[in-house]
Amino acid sequence: MLRVSIPERANWKRKAEEFGFKFHTMYGEAYWDESAYYQFSLQQIEDDLEAPTEEIQQMCLEVVDKVVNSQELLEKFQIPELFWQQIADSWHKRDPSLYSRLDFAYHGKGPAKLYENNADTPTSLYESGFWQWLWLEEQVNGGKIAKQADQFNSLQEKLVHRLATIAKHYDIDQMHFACCQDTDEDRGTVQYLQDCAKESGLQSDFVFIEDIGLAECGSFSDLQNHKIETLFKLYPWEFMQREEFGESIEKACVNWLEPIWKSILSNKALMPMLWRLFPNHPNLLAAYFEDELNQAKETKLVKKPIFSREGANISVIDKGKTVLHADGPYGEEGFIYQAYYPLPQFGNNHTLIGSWLVDDQAAGISLREDSSPITQDMSRYLPHIIL
Amino acid sequence: MQSHKIKRSKSINLSNMRKSFSVKPLALGVAAIFLSACGDEQEATVFTNVDECTNANPEFAEQCKTAYEEALLEAERTGPKYNTQSDCESEFGNNQCRVVQRDSGSFFMPFMAGYMLSNIMSPRGYYSQPMFTSYSRYSPYRNRWIGADGYDFGDQRTRNMRVNEKALKPKPTVTKTMSRGGFGSSVRAKSSWGSSSKKGGWGG
Repeated sequence: MLRVSIPERANWKRKAEEFGFKFHTMYGEAYWDESAYYQFSLQQIEDDLEAPTEEIQQMCLEVVDKVVNSQELLEKFQIPELFWQQIADSWHKRDPSLYSRLDFAYHGKGPAKLYENNADTPTSLYESGFWQWLWLEEQVNGGKIAKQADQFNSLQEKLVHRLATIAKHYDIDQMHFACCQDTDEDRGTVQYLQDCAKESGLQSDFVFIEDIGLAECGSFSDLQNHKIETLFKLYPWEFMQREEFGESIEKACVNWLEPIWKSILSNKALMPMLWRLFPNHPNLLAAYFEDELNQAKETKLVKKPIFSREGANISVIDKGKTVLHADGPYGEEGFIYQAYYPLPQFGNNHTLIGSWLVDDQAAGISLREDSSPITQDMSRYLPHIIL
Repeated sequence: MQSHKIKRSKSINLSNMRKSFSVKPLALGVAAIFLSACGDEQEATVFTNVDECTNANPEFAEQCKTAYEEALLEAERTGPKYNTQSDCESEFGNNQCRVVQRDSGSFFMPFMAGYMLSNIMSPRGYYSQPMFTSYSRYSPYRNRWIGADGYDFGDQRTRNMRVNEKALKPKPTVTKTMSRGGFGSSVRAKSSWGSSSKKGGWGG
């Protein structure tokens, strides 16, 4: 695993415009950064990232199976009681899932350590599945990168295939897609999934989360008053379950993507549960619920809210003292604790690896760099190659 | 190397990944119809004016005229709208845009370049939708037939195409929407928090 500098493609910003990649620069700061790339060996990819990603996915599914059947655990996961039965039903029906991203700390050798599972609303999908793919294609064609270079990135291919499978499962030829207003990044992510849906022969309609309506008959509707039968929502289940329309979710009978059973995975309570079921697994960090802290042998811990995004409200605690803290609006549902394990550093950059799953299959990686050891929302995205 | 399996997507159709309009319109229409590689398809034809349609279908002159008028209305309702003439012209070409006045203000829209018609002979009724095209050297849609939502229906010289019949069926509509805005309140609450989080997105 190396960080290699390379000249940027001269025309990449014009290309980004052409392909509708609007959020490569956000608030005057670079988000997409192609002044360097990461290089992996095939063995690093296959043995240290791909295989563990698929194994951890199976472990996560075992956690879901435990949690849906336990009132005590559902409470620990801070899932409102109204949804317990819906989650169990969705799990027992095996409602199909689309995608997830596992975040790892990996130093190029030794086991990659799982930080968390973004199982419900992962972003950086377009940058990963399409934009870094195009970058490699063009850098190879321009003679800047060796011809035999590859990339761990079959995301787009797998998403197209998976959407077709899901369409078949539900016997549908149309899907609705939704995200919140006023965010180019989320809209871009959802547009990308609409593009993938089109490739798999599906018709797509878009509606903003805030515009979703509740109809007399109990269905959800879009702004044209069309019934929402299947909805990909880039909006967290834990929010939806606590909002006004939450109580209408069951009667609306929507085919949800992600399915509601993923509420259990996109939840930091997953981490101590994994550790409980698979203690000392090489890819796991020790993790504890608040009431298990007395079992912790580690002196340095990371405190994470049960629900949070983009590194918000995370603290690093050393012998009981907070030594690093990221602010944020989360934490009211409680916290979990995870053994401190630093990200690798390349120069001044702390590098996090996101490892994608489409359904249960490992589908590629994305790399984010941050100047802080806590990867936050303004970290940069860098492409990678296998050589 | 341990294996020779390629670990990235084998190919991506780049033309399908290009975005509809290089200058983002204020408003986009909805996809009324789409072409599909498989499934139940039927013939559709693009006409650039009523006479063309009538010449091809002399016995359906009335339908040609009504369909044209409906497409014009639909073009105004769903076609791309721009704040400035130059935004519109950079996408569609010089003198290809007109100003439209509404109560809410004025904006610029491309002229309808033609209308797509299918099922003209069907007793169940025909289907029509407006077509646009671009004369701008800067647009990927130069000399292409474009739907109101930016869907590329192919080369402007091609007048006959096959469209997916499923797409023509009306979508299920709910009887009455009682309320909107029941999702999204958490975002408003959490967005109002602090300033160090710069992005508005809720993905992770």
